[in-house]
Amino acid sequence: MTVISRGWDRLTLSGKVIFTLVPLLLALTVGLVAAIAVLGGPLLDVLAANLPIVRFAVAATAILLMTIPTAFLIIYMEMKVIAQMNLRIGPDRVGPFGSLLSVVHGLKVLMKEDFTPTGADSTVFTWAPVVVYLASVMTLLVIPFAPGLYGQDLNIGLLYFFAMAGLGVVGLLMGGWSSYNKYSLLGGLRAAAQVVSYEIPLTLSVVGLILLAGTMSLNQIVLNQAGWFTDWYVFQQPLGALIFFIAATAEANRTPFDLTEADSEIVAGFATEYSGMRFGFFFFAEYVNVFIMSALTVTLFFGGWNAPFAWPFETGLTIDPGSLGIGLILLIAIVPVILTLAFAAPFWIASSRIKGWQALIIGFVLTNLFIVGLLGAWAYVELDWVAGILWFMLKTYVFVFTFVWMRGTLPRVRIDQLMDFAWKWLLPAALLNLFVTAGAIVVLNAIDRVPT
Amino acid sequence: MTTPTDRSDAPRHEAPHASQDDPRVMLDRDLGVFEPVPPYPPRTEREAEFYTLRDGEMFINMGPQHPSTHGVLRVVLKLDGEKVVDLDPVLGYLHRGVEKLCENADYHHVISQVDPLEYVSSLFTEWAPVMAFEQLLDVQVPRRAEYIRVLSGELNRISSHALFLGWMALDLGGLTPILWSFIERDEIVEMLASLTGQRMLFNYFRIGGVNGDLNHDFMSRLGDWMSRATEQIDSGMGLLNENEIFVRRMRGLGTIDTKAALRMCFSGPNLRATGVPFDVRRAHPYSIYPELDFDIPTRTEGDCLARYLLRMDELKQSLRIIDQCLHQMPDGPIMAKMPRLLRPRPGRAYAAVEGPRGQYATYAMSDGTHQPFRMRIHDPSFVHLQAVGLMMPGHLIADTLAVMASLDPIMGGIDK
Amino acid sequence: MDRALKNRLEARFADRFSGPIRQRHDQTEMRIGAGDVTQVLTALHDEPEFRFEFLADLAGVDTGTVMQVVYHLWSDTTPDWLRLIADGLSRDDPRAPSATFLWKGAEWMEREAYDMFGIIFEGNRDLRRIYMPPDYTSFPLRKDFYLPDDAARSPGAGVRPMERTHEPRNAPAAATVRRSAV
Repeated sequence: MTVISRGWDRLTLSGKVIFTLVPLLLALTVGLVAAIAVLGGPLLDVLAANLPIVRFAVAATAILLMTIPTAFLIIYMEMKVIAQMNLRIGPDRVGPFGSLLSVVHGLKVLMKEDFTPTGADSTVFTWAPVVVYLASVMTLLVIPFAPGLYGQDLNIGLLYFFAMAGLGVVGLLMGGWSSYNKYSLLGGLRAAAQVVSYEIPLTLSVVGLILLAGTMSLNQIVLNQAGWFTDWYVFQQPLGALIFFIAATAEANRTPFDLTEADSEIVAGFATEYSGMRFGFFFFAEYVNVFIMSALTVTLFFGGWNAPFAWPFETGLTIDPGSLGIGLILLIAIVPVILTLAFAAPFWIASSRIKGWQALIIGFVLTNLFIVGLLGAWAYVELDWVAGILWFMLKTYVFVFTFVWMRGTLPRVRIDQLMDFAWKWLLPAALLNLFVTAGAIVVLNAIDRVPT
Repeated sequence: MTTPTDRSDAPRHEAPHASQDDPRVMLDRDLGVFEPVPPYPPRTEREAEFYTLRDGEMFINMGPQHPSTHGVLRVVLKLDGEKVVDLDPVLGYLHRGVEKLCENADYHHVISQVDPLEYVSSLFTEWAPVMAFEQLLDVQVPRRAEYIRVLSGELNRISSHALFLGWMALDLGGLTPILWSFIERDEIVEMLASLTGQRMLFNYFRIGGVNGDLNHDFMSRLGDWMSRATEQIDSGMGLLNENEIFVRRMRGLGTIDTKAALRMCFSGPNLRATGVPFDVRRAHPYSIYPELDFDIPTRTEGDCLARYLLRMDELKQSLRIIDQCLHQMPDGPIMAKMPRLLRPRPGRAYAAVEGPRGQYATYAMSDGTHQPFRMRIHDPSFVHLQAVGLMMPGHLIADTLAVMASLDPIMGGIDK
Repeated sequence: MDRALKNRLEARFADRFSGPIRQRHDQTEMRIGAGDVTQVLTALHDEPEFRFEFLADLAGVDTGTVMQVVYHLWSDTTPDWLRLIADGLSRDDPRAPSATFLWKGAEWMEREAYDMFGIIFEGNRDLRRIYMPPDYTSFPLRKDFYLPDDAARSPGAGVRPMERTHEPRNAPAAATVRRSAV
């Protein structure tokens, strides 16, 4: 044993790391392979028998894991975009262009002291951020990211969404009340009042859409908007879309409706007494909420994962690579070489300062880019989920940018102006939208039934 | 200090007692909360009136550490839900005893002592004492020095109003205007740094003149900035003036009428926004202001929006004044002939200047020695802060800061 | 320097002056006793020939022998500032009437004068300390106060019976207190 300990002491730090990790990884791999070999067969049978549950578990895990990088990205985007609007630079030290700053913020938040204030109700205090976060994230279950890429295709998907989003109020109230602090209480009550008031125009504004689509299933709503962008529901329900977007801003507690976290009035509202990861949870939940509200806007009104244009023709790419035989190997060997030379030649000819090997390197890089581009194009055309997720993310981030843009530009409203606006303006407008839509449907149906 | 979560329901029979950390804070466990209440019994009528809670009211403390009070100011708000019923500002967190320090300082030293009072507009805080001492010494300031004083003073006024614009928007939630107005302010502050040597607490005026003459760097920066100033200011203002949310929050807020304003001893833009065209530069002209041509903007509504728009109008007038100063600048010395050790005749003098916040004045008493006998500084923000309690009742918490910001207080001056 | 103002003031208030009216540069100065302050201020504020509606400043002064309250007023009938010195307040128990009945904005200025000098303004509804902590036991701007490290426990505290009840220790000798003849 002393030999081992003496040998261990003589290692450098990296030596110690290697000698710990490598045996551990080997053991894990061997163990996993053995487990699969032994249990694999029965395990696969069990999985195959319960495929829906497995699918659900995988989808839920993927969604939960996805929320964290999304939140990081949105936080970074907010810092950079608002900085540019403020004629500043924003983060630019940590990572290229400061992109790792939100990751570092996440780590920092994990390392902060985690305390409970005197007099606070510890159970409620601990569970409040969890409730808020879960309420936001559970709604992601029904959002279709691409054809086939959704958690569950509930036929009451929209209703489920609003129900889950409404659970967040409970978390806000829990946080505000249990903090044993008047600022938190005020903030929590304001937040609850705001979210509850704006839920009504939010849900009413999409009822017209439900009437038009005939279904509450989000997947079906997206499928209804396939084709050109003029098929998107925003052109059939413009008022509904507008009301929805404004109410969504209020639901997500974003400027101009961010008085619950107005740091110039009540320090941090319901989150005043929170620090460390609990505070991190609240703000993760908020940024994920921004993403979710944008995603829902896109799903309902802007075509979801559909491209703005209908792909005009069927691709007949039915090349079977195996049929080429030996020619495939020659192709894979020769084509990159030819492309490298082809891309290198113009650079070498054009400038006498670029030497041969430099031109070849440039050519190689360009070849790689070209091949990746070709693969991407093939994936886009052939695999519908690639195109779907691409367009979905693009459209969603346009709306996330709009949220961030509003934060950088607009001041915030007062609580009484906010409630005023919800009850006296948005609610009647949503009702108007609903009646007009319903009336139009009745009229159009009646016209259609008149025999010509 | 306390036992952590002691949540037993046994009745607590502890009498209200002073907290160990701060004897001014009474802890009343029976209430179950830690309330900031003053020691019983209340010492004055107003204290009794304020610290008595009626049904449904509560105190909330916007403490000295707060993201948005303008400096270290503690405001105790009495709330009925979200409505503010009354408020009591508690001062003294930034009190530096400047008046006492000036009594032990030479007349020249006083200038650097008073700089940090209204640190945003230091030149005005230097101007009033310097004028008072010049009266005591019967010194005639050269004309070129007067023109330079007016020029740098108006630049300081513009930078102070730009800062006001930014803070006002920040308190209402807009993150962008403060950074845009800081571009303005940065350029002006750099200009004044090339003139006076300092970016903020300038220490530039001297008894009998100014410290340094205009130099090439200053003039080139000034010319450069003047050519762009109007559009920069307009773009900054354009973000706010037509913003529906901003205007709706400020209109009708914190209204004060003319009689109440005069009773509260308002001066400066706060008074002019209520309709009284009182400007010390016109009512009691000093320096070379009689030779300059400028208007006194006045508005009649007396609410936050009027105060904000009025300060923006004053910005434009300051630009006119600077323009005229540049054109009419005479040659000559920048400092009168003064002895090294100043011993004014025994007497009293009062000098007031129109600062960006109002009438900034000094009452100086001299007893023939080389130190002032009494150096009384009258700061406008101090007087204006009293009026917040008058304007607030009926409004919401969120408006407290908007109203305070619209009065443009600077805690350095309030606390001296 | 407005001679007409001097004449008008002498005509109206001759019996109340405790010293001659002095004028220098652009200021006119008159001295009255503490008891006359209310009536004189009311007259200056209300009467149409004076109309001194703007209170520019309210200050306390400790001359070493007596205490004073100094008011500065402005009217649009004259180009001068009017300085009204309420003279002769005793250093042991300085009392003066409050000006808050005319100008509510004088409340905090009087609080400051109380805090710094100990002058009690009768009629001020809120006469408590404004800068110093509420349990502070001395008045900083008095001439017999000096600046040690901890002023609340300094020998400067408790100099006068109105501040503490125990005997003062190490109070500065009367000869070193700075006086002014003005």
